[in-house]
Amino acid sequence: MEFRSRVEQDTVDVQLSGRLEFTDHDRLRDIIDLLEGPGLRRIVLDLSVLDFIDSAGLGMLLILQEEAEQRNIKLVVRGPQGDVKRSIDLAKINEIVTIEP
Amino acid sequence: MDVTMDTIPSPLRPFCVVRDRIPADMTARVTARFDVHGFDPVPSDGAAPWADALLVERADRDCLREAFHRNPFLMVELGEGGDEPAALMEDWSGAPAVEPGFYLSLTTGTAYGLQCAVLVCDELTRRGALPADHRANVEMCLHEAIANAIVHGNLGISSAAKNQPDGYRVFGQLLRDRLGDPAIKRRRIDIFCRWNAATIALAVVDQGSGFDSAPNGGGPTGAAVAKDGKARSGRGFVFMRALASRVAVTDGGRCTVLHFDL
Repeated sequence: MEFRSRVEQDTVDVQLSGRLEFTDHDRLRDIIDLLEGPGLRRIVLDLSVLDFIDSAGLGMLLILQEEAEQRNIKLVVRGPQGDVKRSIDLAKINEIVTIEP
Repeated sequence: MDVTMDTIPSPLRPFCVVRDRIPADMTARVTARFDVHGFDPVPSDGAAPWADALLVERADRDCLREAFHRNPFLMVELGEGGDEPAALMEDWSGAPAVEPGFYLSLTTGTAYGLQCAVLVCDELTRRGALPADHRANVEMCLHEAIANAIVHGNLGISSAAKNQPDGYRVFGQLLRDRLGDPAIKRRRIDIFCRWNAATIALAVVDQGSGFDSAPNGGGPTGAAVAKDGKARSGRGFVFMRALASRVAVTDGGRCTVLHFDL
């Protein structure tokens, strides 16, 4: 998985690409570090160009949600497509995390 | 020695496994592991007395694709620093030869990060076994079975590591530590594939300690998710049960068998 981030006012937008899977735990730590930015109120995970997510990747979304909550930051997952959307739906992640089309 | 080898100066070394020289206990153990319903048992008297095989010193994606194109039944990565004579007597040599089918044995160090499920599904497609409309389900389930075999099986990391405060840091450190241990990196991940017109059966085997596959047995069976929808792990079996036609766990939790009706 690769990601790139952009901060605009109180929001950090993180676009993930490639495959988010069980070998990506070190990248998760890098994304969590982004939550330390000053004055941050919102993080948007843009999954529109992510090709694949496995159960470990979904677990990472939940970890990010918890880490964001602890810092009073709102996490939004945006634009999952294809197999990624199917996995999110199958695991009912939308009951825990805010998903935007 | 029950295995004969050619010495060809190539990264891919063809040899053959001579079936009637494999110890009976090894054959019985491995055959029991791959007990796949819906397929006729391989008759011991009707099977070929040998199986084409390829030995690879150290595998990568290109090397494995090249090897697959030679259509061996067995493809085995010896692994860096491995003991070749010992490796030749590992369980994979007792894998029941089936037609059509193939068997891939990799070290954990290689399987980690190789995206084995993609590689295997590409090969199933190349051999005409995997219809395009089944690809996503098969690849996802196989990926989850392999991830479980690597992380919880051979690396011996419990799901519980993630479900604690700061668990992702602990989990990441455990991954790095275990993957840095040469003995652990050499543990095998075996993937066994067979199919007929109606069904694809895939088995993923590890060399870990196994687990109790009962719903409350403490293994990665999805019970944590059923109990707590916010659990950070345990969805792999949820996916497999939802997307595969049947899922069975054998060999004390070391073998996951997936069936897909076509």
